[in-house]
Amino acid sequence: MTPAKNDHRGSDPLTSKATSFSEDAGRLPTGVSQGVSAKSYPSVRDRLSYNWTNAMFSWQRTAYHFQPEKNWMNDPDGPLYYMGWYHLFYQYNPDSAVWGNITWGHAVSRDLIHWFYLPLAMVPDRWFDAGGVWTGSATLLPDGRIVMLYTGDTEESIQIQNLAYPANLSDPLLLEWVKYPDNPVIVPPAGIDPEEFRDPTTAWIGPNGTWRLLIGTKVNDTGMALIYETTNFTTYEAAPGVLHAVNGTGMWECVDFYPVSTNSSEGLETSVVGPGVKHVLKASLDDLKMDYYAIGTYDPVSDTWTPDDPEADVGIGLLVDYGRYYASKTFFDQNTGRRILWGWINETDTDYDDLAKGWASVQTIPRVVTFDNKTGSNILEWPVEEVEKLRLNRTKFDDVLVEAGSVVALNISSAMQLDISVEFEIEGSDALEALEESEAIIECATAQNRSTLGPFGLLVLADESLSELTPIYFHIAKSTNGSLTTLFCADETRSTKASEVFKKVYGGPVPVLDDEKFTMRLLVDHSIIESFAQGGRTVITSRVYPTEAIYGAAKLFLFNNATGVNVTASLEIWQMNSAFIHPFPLDEM
Amino acid sequence: MKSFFFLRSIFLFHLIIVAPLAPTLSLAKSTNLIKKTCKKTPYPDLCISSLRSHAKGSGVTIHDLAGIILNLTLANATNTLSHIEALINQAEDPQLERLLDYCAELYIPVVKYTLPQAIVAFNKAQYGFAEYGVSDAGDQADTCEKEFSQSKVSSPLGDRNKLVSELCDVAVAIIKMVSKVKHNLR
Repeated sequence: MTPAKNDHRGSDPLTSKATSFSEDAGRLPTGVSQGVSAKSYPSVRDRLSYNWTNAMFSWQRTAYHFQPEKNWMNDPDGPLYYMGWYHLFYQYNPDSAVWGNITWGHAVSRDLIHWFYLPLAMVPDRWFDAGGVWTGSATLLPDGRIVMLYTGDTEESIQIQNLAYPANLSDPLLLEWVKYPDNPVIVPPAGIDPEEFRDPTTAWIGPNGTWRLLIGTKVNDTGMALIYETTNFTTYEAAPGVLHAVNGTGMWECVDFYPVSTNSSEGLETSVVGPGVKHVLKASLDDLKMDYYAIGTYDPVSDTWTPDDPEADVGIGLLVDYGRYYASKTFFDQNTGRRILWGWINETDTDYDDLAKGWASVQTIPRVVTFDNKTGSNILEWPVEEVEKLRLNRTKFDDVLVEAGSVVALNISSAMQLDISVEFEIEGSDALEALEESEAIIECATAQNRSTLGPFGLLVLADESLSELTPIYFHIAKSTNGSLTTLFCADETRSTKASEVFKKVYGGPVPVLDDEKFTMRLLVDHSIIESFAQGGRTVITSRVYPTEAIYGAAKLFLFNNATGVNVTASLEIWQMNSAFIHPFPLDEM
Repeated sequence: MKSFFFLRSIFLFHLIIVAPLAPTLSLAKSTNLIKKTCKKTPYPDLCISSLRSHAKGSGVTIHDLAGIILNLTLANATNTLSHIEALINQAEDPQLERLLDYCAELYIPVVKYTLPQAIVAFNKAQYGFAEYGVSDAGDQADTCEKEFSQSKVSSPLGDRNKLVSELCDVAVAIIKMVSKVKHNLR
């Protein structure tokens, strides 16, 4: 993950930075990054920040998503399963709620939901990572050893790759980590910008028995994944070619590369190749702060990967998540045989707000990744079923009629911690044919834009008067060539009255097959909403900070802004318990 | 259960009068220790019957009793897992099979990791970790049973899940007692 130079809000039209910041090369003034009150910078104070109360701020904390007790977090690192425990490491600033001073935080769980905070795994205490212990990945060796490769940022801002491993493999909590004394093991090669060379992946075994891993970089504006080979994880050889490159995509951060089975829902260990296997290549595009992926074929002999659809190549096709989402990383869970996906969810409020409330960022609920063999052209992401353990009481609504241009209140006890499954049907099977107008550009627009067949969906974290609301919805459009496209969207533009929050409409197309109803699953958890359409074909993560629609004032509604059709909706809504994430009781050992 | 215990205690009383003093004293001592310890657990009868058949010999301590219960819990969890796997092989109803698979997924880490790690931790006097692990194992047995009751399919594992769950509760209680003793001795 790069420093604030390419700010995590780089793609925002709203310049949330005061002028004193923008003159700088991009790093926050050290004062701010050390946690000094931003109030001492007059230009920051001048920016119109909402008058947040403590109640509003503390409401924003999630109940069942992973986040540290305080301060800044970004990329998930080295996720793995070992001796009965799932481990999560993460980019963490122990001193402030903005990026800086990056260490590896550490947490464990038996079930990917109930996490225990552990002491920091690694801090920037060596010359080879003095500028920050940046992102990395774990490789589990067949002999039981764990190898962690991570990017170290030096004081001179050179990005080098380092090796670390557990001090004691018989400690199931893997508390202590050792950094290989002769680090770095990989340095930027000639011709590569030493500040654009980072985020080593999990390694996989090639046909000759050597291991390979990828490191993302760019040359001019072409993003690419470089291949490094090793037998011992201490000495590496750069492969002559690259795994893949795509013009115009810029720097590839957090590259991820993994096999999926095309004929079963089982996850695959990272080294698997063969018939019935495709490979997913994913990159976090630094320029756009978005995670792109493509499905293709990996040739282990030539060490190249070719996308199934070059028009939807990495960086120009599908997004892993169409919302506020970045730096995602998968791992193979050998305990249950699943491929599991983590994703970092940044805030959309300002650094000033984050410093005031004392924390920033959340991880998604881990998702299982499988190949969608109904469409053959995308992956499916679905929250791990362990999240269902948090379900408390359920409310069912069957065949609720939502007429064109109407809103229907859903009577549930509380609306801020929910697991919602909803199915929509458009009344009248000939409705789709009746769609007259076509649209030249089909993309998600605000839910207030009405058309014949939509939008229709849910209003989440809405207050009674709908002064604040977050619509999550389907919008069906006909393109100028006559084909129908369904869009799945999340409209944050009216999610909060706070004006400094970055609010936009997110979303993308979702394939809906002939015999399918329109389905959504939503995980609502205070200031985060994860929305899954058609079983996880298109996913949108939203961050929202209502000022009114909080606690008991938060409600849930169905809505149908279509002009031409009614819809009926059937829902199952569960109240969700807290995951009670807390420190591991080490002192009681 | 209670009448059996009564008969046993009468029989022991006989032994105490008739047999030589030293071995019967230690047997009475260990019986008393078991009784005293088990009274402070959530399932005293289960505790006593489990310990009685395994705690033999002189010089039995609470620490030993905890160890016995822990091993017994692991043995029962392992046994339950084998039983689940056997039932899966025979299952013809897909809903039953799905539920059994779910339970197997819960028991596998318990048998492979959670309970063995708790035992290692207990032997290293890491009582907090041991308690947490055992209690977690008990939760898994409860979750398995809950899944059946929510699905309205009759559970073929009711007795076994109950046994594992209750043994876990007993084990946690005894570990707490050991932990208190150790702390007092410091």
